[in-house]
Amino acid sequence: MKNVILWLFGLEESALSDPTVVAGIITSFALIAAVLALFIVLLVKKRFLIHRWGHKVWSRTKLLIQSGFFILTNSFMVGWFKGTIYQGKLKFMCVPGMNCYSCPGAWGACPIGAMQAIFDEFDASKSWLDPVSGTYVQAPLYWIAFYMIGILMFIGALCGRLVCGLLCPFGWIQDLLYKIPVKKLKLPRDDRLIDKSRNPKAVRFWLGVDKYMRYLKYAFLIVMVVFLPLIVKANPWFCKYVCPSGMLLGGIPLMSMNSNLAAAAGKLTLQKLLILGGIVGLSIFLYRPFCRYICPLGAIYSFFNRFSLYKYGIDDSKCNRCKGCSVCASSCPMGVDPVKNPNHPECIRCGTCNSKCPQKAIHAGFRMKTPEGSAIRTRKQK
Amino acid sequence: MKTESKLMRYIVPAALMLAGVCFIVYGATDGEAFAVLKKAIAICMECIGLG
Repeated sequence: MKNVILWLFGLEESALSDPTVVAGIITSFALIAAVLALFIVLLVKKRFLIHRWGHKVWSRTKLLIQSGFFILTNSFMVGWFKGTIYQGKLKFMCVPGMNCYSCPGAWGACPIGAMQAIFDEFDASKSWLDPVSGTYVQAPLYWIAFYMIGILMFIGALCGRLVCGLLCPFGWIQDLLYKIPVKKLKLPRDDRLIDKSRNPKAVRFWLGVDKYMRYLKYAFLIVMVVFLPLIVKANPWFCKYVCPSGMLLGGIPLMSMNSNLAAAAGKLTLQKLLILGGIVGLSIFLYRPFCRYICPLGAIYSFFNRFSLYKYGIDDSKCNRCKGCSVCASSCPMGVDPVKNPNHPECIRCGTCNSKCPQKAIHAGFRMKTPEGSAIRTRKQK
Repeated sequence: MKTESKLMRYIVPAALMLAGVCFIVYGATDGEAFAVLKKAIAICMECIGLG
């Protein structure tokens, strides 16, 4: 038993003589047990079924799921207590969301960081001296990160961007920030609502800006996660120059607990803090700016929304869109119209439309049938 | 109402998941999982803005 615990926590036997480590182990077990108990209660009470409950209950349930998953994946309390990180064998596995592996509590690796780590591996036998720069050019050991593609493909094909909506810790933090009661930046999506607005021309302009800026995340994925680490220089470019999640979950806690690390802070730290500050500030007014415009992981999962087993669907026989209802489109925090395309790549499957639909015409799940047994539409509206 | 075919509803996701498992096994046996572990168990200086 003791050996299993030591293996699980990646600790030496001598570490058990430290009372902080023992307290950390006990707290970790207690937190994991509490979260598992919470999930069992939610499962028994069928709180995962969005339709059965109104929006208020669902939004609370969603917050519980997000908080529970954050605690579950970041409950290595020895790290939080001692200002270190988990060094056990479980870290070869990836968590589904943006969760920095340098977070003191992280049990698993971040998928984006892990992908860059694979591209960073170089083949020493194929390195050569560049006569112009006088430095060694390193040939990548892996041109395709099969391991990471496999993990992301499996999760994506199972549930698509449900990961963004319910399981991503950085998404959860942005959700919490958006709860701060200030005036929000929200544009109407429905044509009728746009025409009714004070300045329809300006609304259409900003909708266009928002639409094209969303392609930025694909550029971040291709350039900073794949191209630059693979071709230009072995370096985790996205993690190093952009990722605010690493700074928030890893940098700030570690630097606040470790004076040696804090002393090493420099220009790059400031740059990353500014990016984090910008994202945090914007998240108060705009729903999930990082997920909309930057997140390369969301870009990967967005390809799978159309093909995943977990899907959203519309019961057209119940939908009141033709009678002027647009509750789902106007309530969607990501600006998607679920009636037009219930499995839009930008949909993070947060369940807002589903829980707000007065007709209960939007379905979510693995089984695309109504309780009455009739089929529902998962494709685009024609 | 036009509904999704069985191919798109179940077979394509299942095939993607199966391909995913095959890629994971291939990548892990090729040493990629070790590369991930090696990187993840050390504090990533770049990620925390120090490096």
